[in-house]
Amino acid sequence: MTRTRTTALVAMAVAAATALAACTSASTTGGTGGNGGSGGGDINDLNAGVFLDVTSWDPANADIGFDGPYLSAVYDPLVSLDADGKPAPGLATSWDWSTDRLTLTAHLRDGVKFDDGQVFDAKAAVANLKHLKEGVRSSQAYLNVSGFEAKDDKTVEIKLSKRDDALLYFMGLGRSWMVSPAAIDGNKLNDGPVGSGPYAYDKANSAPQQQYVFTKKASHWDTATYPFNKVTLFPITDQTASFNAMLSGQLNMQFANSANNPKAQENGWNVASKPSSWVGVQFADRTGAQVKALGEQKVRQAISYAFDASGILKAVGNGAGTQTTQLWPSFSQVYDKAMNDKYKTDMAKAKSLLAEAGYANGFSVKMPMSPIFQAWQPAANQTFGDLGIKVEWVDMAMPDYQKNAPTYPMFLAVIAMDGDDMATLTDQVTSKQWYNPNPSVDAFPEVKALVEKAENAEPGAAQTAALKELNTKLVDLAWWNVWYQADNTYFSVKGIKVTPVTGMMFPTLKFIQRG
Amino acid sequence: MLSFIGKRLLSGIFLLLVVTSGTFFLAHVAIGDPTQGLLGNSATPAQSAALRTKIGYDDPLLVQFWNWLSHAVTGDFGKSWRSFQPVNDQLGRSIPITLSIVVFSLIISVVFGAVIGIVCGLRPGGWLDRVLKVASVVLFALPGFWISIQLVMLFAVNLKWFPSVGYVSPSVSFVGWIETITLPSISLALGAIVMIAEQLRNGFIEVANQDFVRTLRARGLPRRRVTTHVLRNASPAALTVLALMFVGLLGGAVIVELVFNMYGIGRYTQQSSQIGDIPSLLGVTAVTVAFVVVVNFLLDLVLGWVNPKVRER
Repeated sequence: MTRTRTTALVAMAVAAATALAACTSASTTGGTGGNGGSGGGDINDLNAGVFLDVTSWDPANADIGFDGPYLSAVYDPLVSLDADGKPAPGLATSWDWSTDRLTLTAHLRDGVKFDDGQVFDAKAAVANLKHLKEGVRSSQAYLNVSGFEAKDDKTVEIKLSKRDDALLYFMGLGRSWMVSPAAIDGNKLNDGPVGSGPYAYDKANSAPQQQYVFTKKASHWDTATYPFNKVTLFPITDQTASFNAMLSGQLNMQFANSANNPKAQENGWNVASKPSSWVGVQFADRTGAQVKALGEQKVRQAISYAFDASGILKAVGNGAGTQTTQLWPSFSQVYDKAMNDKYKTDMAKAKSLLAEAGYANGFSVKMPMSPIFQAWQPAANQTFGDLGIKVEWVDMAMPDYQKNAPTYPMFLAVIAMDGDDMATLTDQVTSKQWYNPNPSVDAFPEVKALVEKAENAEPGAAQTAALKELNTKLVDLAWWNVWYQADNTYFSVKGIKVTPVTGMMFPTLKFIQRG
Repeated sequence: MLSFIGKRLLSGIFLLLVVTSGTFFLAHVAIGDPTQGLLGNSATPAQSAALRTKIGYDDPLLVQFWNWLSHAVTGDFGKSWRSFQPVNDQLGRSIPITLSIVVFSLIISVVFGAVIGIVCGLRPGGWLDRVLKVASVVLFALPGFWISIQLVMLFAVNLKWFPSVGYVSPSVSFVGWIETITLPSISLALGAIVMIAEQLRNGFIEVANQDFVRTLRARGLPRRRVTTHVLRNASPAALTVLALMFVGLLGGAVIVELVFNMYGIGRYTQQSSQIGDIPSLLGVTAVTVAFVVVVNFLLDLVLGWVNPKVRER
């Protein structure tokens, strides 16, 4: 299964903004320590700087990336996520899987009403799920879903055409926001949200693209989870502007540039971070169809040995991340710390592997390049040059990169990660994505067998063990050349605590608490 | 005068048509299939196809153009391909922001530029004149974003006199509106002040040395009245610069809007072109060209009023 979200594009934009901000933020000072209202007592208002504007109030047209905080203010999800990325109750209080895992039965919360007075029940849930399945952006979460049925007022059945162990995760990630069915029918979501969420949208005091104001509803079923009386979200793409707003006290929480960590500490702010994307080289041509050399395991391994991943993380990534060879998140049970030294930088070994593969003099390859990746280009140039691999860079703008990169045998990549292990398997390994144009699982029987083992395993320990086995095999095959897992960082003043969630570029409001 | 106005209006409409048509076709050639940029990284071919149908991208280019043009002439610029919201709504939100900072910065520029220009013109070589010379070089050399950041650091972060980001509509709070547009406007205006001052100062000195001024002085006219005559004859050049500056400030607003996080015309253009949202791009192009046409038209009217010979051209 695949999913709709801005993942890599957003991750790349973030990377670019971080790189740009690193250039300009040096001109800023520690300031006066604007504390954004942290001067004693509980903070009643949350003023958060989000990286991007809300894409749409219609969850079917919304992006997962940075839309979470906006949509979580006004909508309740059918399924939510907990801090570990595990499915948690939302408007569905519980759910059961059939033994063949092809039917998911969700039991719905009672007594919930939408802002327009409509009642939330199974009929409303089905109308929403159908709308999401047909949505331009949301449909990818429901690719393996064949239908929805209201069994009674409080029970919904979701029928799957194929087992999908990541379905609940994607629903919780931002693909199950429930809106008033009347708003769907009347196409009213263009005028603003009509949901049942913990906050009411204060349209009069909001200015789209500038700031969105939400006021707390006392009557919400989960009101205790949302401590702030008023939430104002500022979409601020320029990271210097965002940091200045934090310094001036206009914001009390922000999506941050890790280069500013020392200044955040000077100001006494809380700093929270978690892995969000992997950075490295994506081998799109593992079978060697375009460049024969890349079909050789030893060549891919040689490239992995050649790069100084730790140095790149320190120099380009501001040290905000984890040097690794894997793309299951560093907190995942699938992740194996011992494998991080598998490709410890060793240029002699890299050259020797190239020679063994019959490419002692290297080979030629074309790679795409866009301004966002220029921060990593010098390291790539030097490393490939040392190996004797002659790279011809083809310059292009970012949208073209996304469109054209899949046609190149390998390319530099910043790809968003998932907090769910099975979602990582589908998004990064088995499904065709722009960043994984040729999954090529079928061409590697041993990989295919391990993928099937994981997909058919009982969720839990057995599935984790199967994924670990697969992870080991993929690292050994140098399926990708992962340099590091980059963190997303959030600053907040004392009195506000942020819990980042891998998979969400910006956490939903339930993960922003007093503390 | 009516024929003069008619000619100017016709040429303005022609320019509007040429620029927007050119933008339409160039944007289609440059962007190609926009669905990837619009949908995000993991769009499936089926999703792209659905979006293409939804936005009418599968229609022949000339049909798309006619669909756009026939609506645009009625003032309907269609819906954004990104948010599916009417482009007019977005323009209605962005135009007041950019106009607020551009007009406010023009007012600042004209007031300070005129005063400095006249004073320097009256005393060429004086200390203020020398300061103006240095300032014009320095302010032109300094990048706009650097000036903006310094203003933010001083007045927003350290002194906390103004907000560092955002925009408040005057309908919500007039004071808030003034507070949010002051720093961006000053940032835009600094370069414009010295430019207007320099133009006016040079024009002033040139006219002041002409024979008719010497005659006015010889006839014993008071200095204030002589200055008025000189100013009126020196003003056409400054007015032309002012009109050009309006266009320049519209362009310069992109950086200021970015630094102060204001979603005006500049950022709307930048984002639309980045993601391939052609209806938004066309809407913003049409409005910007319309502004330029109107400003030039007004300039021609004023110049024609100041100098009747212009009307005969």
